[in-house]
Amino acid sequence: MAWPIVCYAQAPVAVPDQPVKAATSDSASSILSRVRPAVIQIKGFFGSNAAHAFHGTGFAVAPEGVFMTNYHVVAEKVLYPDKYRLEYRTADGKTGRVTVVAIDARHDLAVVRAVGHAPEPLKLEPKVPAMGSRAYSVGFPLDVGLTITEGVSNGRVEDSFDPRIHYSGAINGGMSGGPALGAAGEVIGVNVSGYIFSQLVAFLVPAEHAQALLELALKRKPVPGGLRKDVLAQLRGHAADLLGALDGTMPTQTNAGYALPARLAPFIDCKAAGDPAPDQPVQIVRIHCTAKAGLYVQQGLYGGNLFYSHYLVSTSKLDAWRFARKLTDRTAASGARGSRRHVGPFACEDRIVGLKGFDAGVLVCVRSYRKLEGLYDFTVRVSSLNGSKRGFASHLDMYGLEFEPGMRFIRRYVEAMEWKP
Amino acid sequence: MSAATVLIEICSVHGRVLARERITLTPDTHTFTIGRSAQADVTVDDAYVAAIHASVEITPEGKLLVSDLGSINGIVLSGKRYRGARDLELANGDMLKIGHTRLRVRTAHETLAPEKPDQIEPASIARNPAFIAIVAGLACVAQLAYNEWLGAPRDLAAEIVGTLITAMLAASAWVAFWALLSRVTQWEWRPLRHAAILLGVAAVFIALDGLLQLAWFAFSLPQWSVRGVVVGAIAFGCALYLHLSYASNMSARSAALVACIVPALLAGTGLWVLERRQMRDVNNIVTSLRIYPPALRLRSTAPVEAFFRDAAELRTGADAKRAAMPEEDEAGEIKDDDT
Repeated sequence: MAWPIVCYAQAPVAVPDQPVKAATSDSASSILSRVRPAVIQIKGFFGSNAAHAFHGTGFAVAPEGVFMTNYHVVAEKVLYPDKYRLEYRTADGKTGRVTVVAIDARHDLAVVRAVGHAPEPLKLEPKVPAMGSRAYSVGFPLDVGLTITEGVSNGRVEDSFDPRIHYSGAINGGMSGGPALGAAGEVIGVNVSGYIFSQLVAFLVPAEHAQALLELALKRKPVPGGLRKDVLAQLRGHAADLLGALDGTMPTQTNAGYALPARLAPFIDCKAAGDPAPDQPVQIVRIHCTAKAGLYVQQGLYGGNLFYSHYLVSTSKLDAWRFARKLTDRTAASGARGSRRHVGPFACEDRIVGLKGFDAGVLVCVRSYRKLEGLYDFTVRVSSLNGSKRGFASHLDMYGLEFEPGMRFIRRYVEAMEWKP
Repeated sequence: MSAATVLIEICSVHGRVLARERITLTPDTHTFTIGRSAQADVTVDDAYVAAIHASVEITPEGKLLVSDLGSINGIVLSGKRYRGARDLELANGDMLKIGHTRLRVRTAHETLAPEKPDQIEPASIARNPAFIAIVAGLACVAQLAYNEWLGAPRDLAAEIVGTLITAMLAASAWVAFWALLSRVTQWEWRPLRHAAILLGVAAVFIALDGLLQLAWFAFSLPQWSVRGVVVGAIAFGCALYLHLSYASNMSARSAALVACIVPALLAGTGLWVLERRQMRDVNNIVTSLRIYPPALRLRSTAPVEAFFRDAAELRTGADAKRAAMPEEDEAGEIKDDDT
């Protein structure tokens, strides 16, 4: 899963011993000089502090000071409007206030207005460039000033739940919300995220979504508290689409006699691994699946995602009693990540139930979101009870979904399991 | 009036007799004195007692009348201090406090409790505390070792030894506490008896807890998350009652009352603290299902429909828990980064 790039202010920055020649062509400097007036740094301040709390990038997309950036750049301002203020800073040092006009949390976009700064807008190009096209990314990485990086657009990301363009180039913390440009200088996307421990694998939100949000923002009038409601509505929409995409017959894969939910959709990434050492008393095969659908809501909170794992446990050395204890240990519910700031405690129900051909212990836990009303996290544990030499423990964790669709999915997930000796 | 023998018992704060003095009264002298002086009939070594502190008169009817002979501290009877009092009547078995010394005056007129039948046959080894302590101790060791064995194949011997040493240290501290209390109140250490109580109760309740878990698995009963607390409280109550019976002067009724109230309070407090901690730890999940060999499943399971019908109520439970969270938790982490 790709995350909005986060680089903590206190993190040391490596300084090379020798000056490194910039990996850009002449066209990069020409593009940078062209877009420079339209790009601003957006800084967020907590309370009346003069020192900023976070910062990102924005670029002009319409006259009268309308700029595009990422939702995650302005999320704290949207959710805590009284606690934070936003300001812009141009490459020339001009500063002023920023207000949020519209957001699209699903595509991680926001339209803001910079008071007193209205440069010529950049042109959005909704068409995704061909794979291998030259591309550039502009922004203010690590607060070191306006920067351009050169790379390659690798087209739409395959098997992604949310539409993304794969950009093979550097996008660092602080460049979020900046424009990604094609060879002709048109905006092909918005810098959004990257893999922190990878090399030059970054992602852009396609410009078509920026275009759609811009049109919406120019049409609608601001409503007090409306942005927060938009976040909730968009999260619900995302959650409904996610579970909707998983509707239908649940595919299963049989392992060690147990048919268990397999890869449910193209955007779900599954990996399987086991301990190849043959002398272990217990052999465990672990199948872990992740839906690459998490939505940034605010710091430390991602919604609309699910993960599931199957642990297939077998033994040829342990007796039934000790094997049962091993399976109990594997069933323990842990690892549900969440913060008191965002969610309440779990309420749980557990029982021994009859599934297809075997008995299973089933635990379902639910907790509700504190401010995002109507959204819930789910934790499910299923363990087989019919084997004295082999069995499984299945873990399902879902975040930021509505209750009824969530429970329906859990029931389908559990009922899909079958004993096929 | 013929000559009479009076027994004066000097007692500890718990009523244990520390010393006895026997006085023979002639028909002419039916009064004796108590004081620090050698001239007193009963001499006590107590700096808070006057030279001739008090006198005790035995009437022809057998009544005991005590008088203060002008001391500074007076005499204390039934928790009340009397200075200069004359002819206070002592009831049968009353404890008289003079200075810091507790005395009991016994005469031929006292009413004695009937002799207690000795129900413990010395030959009955099954009621011998040492025997019970050994058998119950072995049962505890076996259960702890079995529990460790289930988690094998870790380093089984080291795990068992570590667990046993920890358990033995805890048990020794517990037994030492009660033995000390017995020594103070009953003048006897009784370590074997207290060890027998602790190990006996522990052996029974560890087995009971295991059987309950097994029964829940075998009969597909709903899990009971507070089982451990309830079983622990009952075990503690039983042990407390038995310890108090052998280590204090409490009546059986009082000991039973204490053995009910204290564990109930502790269990209630423990559950409250647990609940509060769980409310603060939003990632906490209490799961109590213990898996056993499938051959022990004795009852068919509930249909999955019934489970999900009940699980639909989780929304209400989750919303209620969220609503019960304190508002101050809203202050969250600090966002401090480049985005």
